[in-house]
Amino acid sequence: MKSVYILPTGDEIKSGIVLDLDAPEIIGQIVKAYPEAEVTRLCPLLDIEDTIFEKIKEVAEVHSPSLIILIGGSGGGHRFSKTLGKDFTHSALERYLDEFASHEIYGKNGHMWSKLVCGKKGETLIINVPGPYVEAKAACEAFLNSYTAGKAIDEISLDMANAVLAQYPVGAAETVQAKK
Amino acid sequence: MEHEYIIAHADKSVLKISGLEVKGLNTKQLEQILADKLHTFVRVIGVTGENIEMDVYDIEPDQVRKNEQGLIESIVLTEGITVTDLTKITCSDKIVEVDYDSIPAEPISDCKRERWMKRQ
Repeated sequence: MKSVYILPTGDEIKSGIVLDLDAPEIIGQIVKAYPEAEVTRLCPLLDIEDTIFEKIKEVAEVHSPSLIILIGGSGGGHRFSKTLGKDFTHSALERYLDEFASHEIYGKNGHMWSKLVCGKKGETLIINVPGPYVEAKAACEAFLNSYTAGKAIDEISLDMANAVLAQYPVGAAETVQAKK
Repeated sequence: MEHEYIIAHADKSVLKISGLEVKGLNTKQLEQILADKLHTFVRVIGVTGENIEMDVYDIEPDQVRKNEQGLIESIVLTEGITVTDLTKITCSDKIVEVDYDSIPAEPISDCKRERWMKRQ
């Protein structure tokens, strides 16, 4: 892994209302696993799908990094609660990526808690991780383990979803159906 | 490519702290303080300059409601939070389980608070 771009998202991160604890954690994990990697943390993005889409496109096309990691905006957010932030990283990735795997974790109330997307554009691998610190940490650890083991995108996505799921006090998780 | 749904079978309530001044919030620290106090998992899911919303798992909402003042006192030392006279904590009832088989395949209204949709 030669170069990595980290894209934090969230109005509250950009404004400084919430400290960005995830990016330093992820940078630390990458440097530990790949000591020679160049890791760049970009300015946080507002929760606007087009803004996120355009930045992913710009970074991938201008820099062609080995990996882009989007942080936050992975849930259902505004789609389920008017008081929650807008979650757009997964939908922006779905628009941009030609080929990707995804896993959607739902609560039993039918609300989407997290949607993790893993895919490639050219030679660049692109993933998103959830915003909550423990989930971002777990998802990144799972990604690095799977990637380093040479797993396929489907397997990486599943490993990341299981790592996030393990952060909930869940007695049992049920895979409902494959969508495609 | 694989695209799968996973259902997490966990009881959850939403704990909201309002009437705060929030700047530079350390969410990890806040989650840890409340997790220690409530003996359960806590996850910050939404933050504005005045309010914080958190998911709390496997807890009776009354346990939160009865201990409001103690919880407010416990968060005072959290980095990035200033408690005010208006600070209060509310906790929703537990989430209600939805029967997957009863969910329509397509949205039945244009309600923005959409539930999941079964997609083939």
